[in-house]
Amino acid sequence: MGGGREHQKLTSISHKTYFEPDMQIDYLSLKNFRNYARLELGIPTGPVVLHGENAQGKTSLLEAIYYLATSTSPYTNSDRQLINWQVANDILPYAQVGADIITTERIMSRVEITLIMESEGTNRFRKELRINGVSKRRSDLLGMIGVVMFLPQDLMLVEGSPSQRRRYLDLTLGQVDDEYTEALNKFDKVLLQRNALLRRIAANYASKTELEYWDEQLAECAGVIIAARQRIIRELEGLAQDYHHDISGGREDLQLVYQPSFEPTVEGDGQQSFNLFGMDLHREMDAAEIAPQYREALLDNQKEEVERGMTLIGPQRDDLRFMVNGRDLSMFGSRGQARTGVLAIKLAELVWMKEQFGAYPILLLDEVVAELDARRRAYLLEQIKHVNQVLLTTTELSVLTNGFLSTATLWQVEEGQISPINSVDA
Amino acid sequence: MSQVLPPSVTKLIDAFSRLPGVGSKTASRLTYYLLRAPEDVSLALSEALVELKTKTQYCEICHNITEDSPCPVCRDVRRDQTTIVVVEDPLDVVAVERTGSYRGVYHVLHGAISPVDGIGPDHLKLKELVERIEAKPVAEVIIATNPNMEGEATAMYVKQMVEPLGVKITRLARGLPSGGDLEYVDTVTLMRAFEGRGDMK
Ligand SMILES: [Zn+2]
Repeated sequence: MGGGREHQKLTSISHKTYFEPDMQIDYLSLKNFRNYARLELGIPTGPVVLHGENAQGKTSLLEAIYYLATSTSPYTNSDRQLINWQVANDILPYAQVGADIITTERIMSRVEITLIMESEGTNRFRKELRINGVSKRRSDLLGMIGVVMFLPQDLMLVEGSPSQRRRYLDLTLGQVDDEYTEALNKFDKVLLQRNALLRRIAANYASKTELEYWDEQLAECAGVIIAARQRIIRELEGLAQDYHHDISGGREDLQLVYQPSFEPTVEGDGQQSFNLFGMDLHREMDAAEIAPQYREALLDNQKEEVERGMTLIGPQRDDLRFMVNGRDLSMFGSRGQARTGVLAIKLAELVWMKEQFGAYPILLLDEVVAELDARRRAYLLEQIKHVNQVLLTTTELSVLTNGFLSTATLWQVEEGQISPINSVDA
Repeated sequence: MSQVLPPSVTKLIDAFSRLPGVGSKTASRLTYYLLRAPEDVSLALSEALVELKTKTQYCEICHNITEDSPCPVCRDVRRDQTTIVVVEDPLDVVAVERTGSYRGVYHVLHGAISPVDGIGPDHLKLKELVERIEAKPVAEVIIATNPNMEGEATAMYVKQMVEPLGVKITRLARGLPSGGDLEYVDTVTLMRAFEGRGDMK
């Protein structure tokens, strides 16, 4: 358990040298985005503290940066909500996020995402991505700028629903692996068709032979999804173990266990085995190995799936479990232990992204510092001091240490306006 | 608001609203336009609407929309009757004809397999395709269903049903933007896709 921790302690958090590449947002422009009618803002490196009351635009600024990097919002699936309707009085309302970004190759690029209503009075929106003025696809944005966002709701990651944990994996993988995102989107579409077909078969409107094509498509996507999830969980676990061990004062060993609803086996015998104690004895497998096994399992479950009218096994039912000293944290852990687990995985994510991008991602901390107790808060602030660009929102400056504040740029956010704070009486 | 409008007006607005891509706003605008326009405009429209249903039928061979069956393409002796392009809709026939380089004939399936929409293989003109090939030998079947998921599912089905008949089967796919609709593919891309068609795995 926790193999290799002793001799590897925290070496992954390297100290910054002058030769290390950086990734940063140099300048941000918003138009009709959430609270902002218009914003033009140069963003320094180092920590930036956004201070202000709630609903003034602190979170929207972080959301804009996240949106720019991923073209999705961490808060909403409804594009409509991103538009500032009070000022967007054009015939075709739109919102725009633009930024000058510096990639790891020290190249300055202009990235712009415009969200515009498709046609008058509809509720459909079209996303236009431009990089240096040229129209691009979403996948072209991949690898340009990485972000890690830490929200108060992330603190519920351990205790929350499996869907929340799947979403966490999907968003993290989505930033680096386009094949994953494509497989995930396709999987959802195929699943919808397959479930409809299962119900038609149950009602005798269709025959079982019609499942063949959809099973094949589903298995192909599932292979990609399962393989990627296996890999990221293993990699995150390796990194998170050190942090968890550290925060718990050396008393706890964390394990991240992938609990797929369908578990491929190296032997390929299609046997499903539940890992009750989270022991993962299987080596990593690639998509091409997993797909035929999943297809086999679909056949084995066909009768029941037809009866129930839905697909019962697959990535749509996967889970990620946090285990400490062999016990499942969501069932047997204290609230403090669960929070340590979350903090460990978020810090691991930061290093994981750094390994993927070759530089620290931009770290966005939304109101989360105030939610942590003093000890975990101090640990977090200490661990992130080498991150090139950190944007942090808070309603109270007093939650931050004086040491942290002295290195930070302080901004006041009020009614969609941002102004510098010159002195702090913390 | 509906009470202030005579039933004959709301009836037409409702009828327009049922058309794809027409919202209630556009439906009202069209209706008021017709109210104000000279009578022959609406007469011509109503005549066209009636003829659309009374004068057209499906071609008994290829199932394309036609006024006379067999359709002009199926009757054309200069066209190669042993090469069949299989498409989802009549508009796809128009798209292929626009390239000006195809000299074979067609088979219109009238849709694509989509369980969510309740469309299975039985709803398509698949059986008719098999019967057609059995009745008169064919050299090549070119599957030109849309390059999206439903189109691919349909292509699989066509292949499964035609394969036992010993016909060469090719798939029009390479170079076509995936997820799209054949109808909207530009002529040059479509021509290239034809030239580069490959055997279906
Ligand atoms: Zn015909």
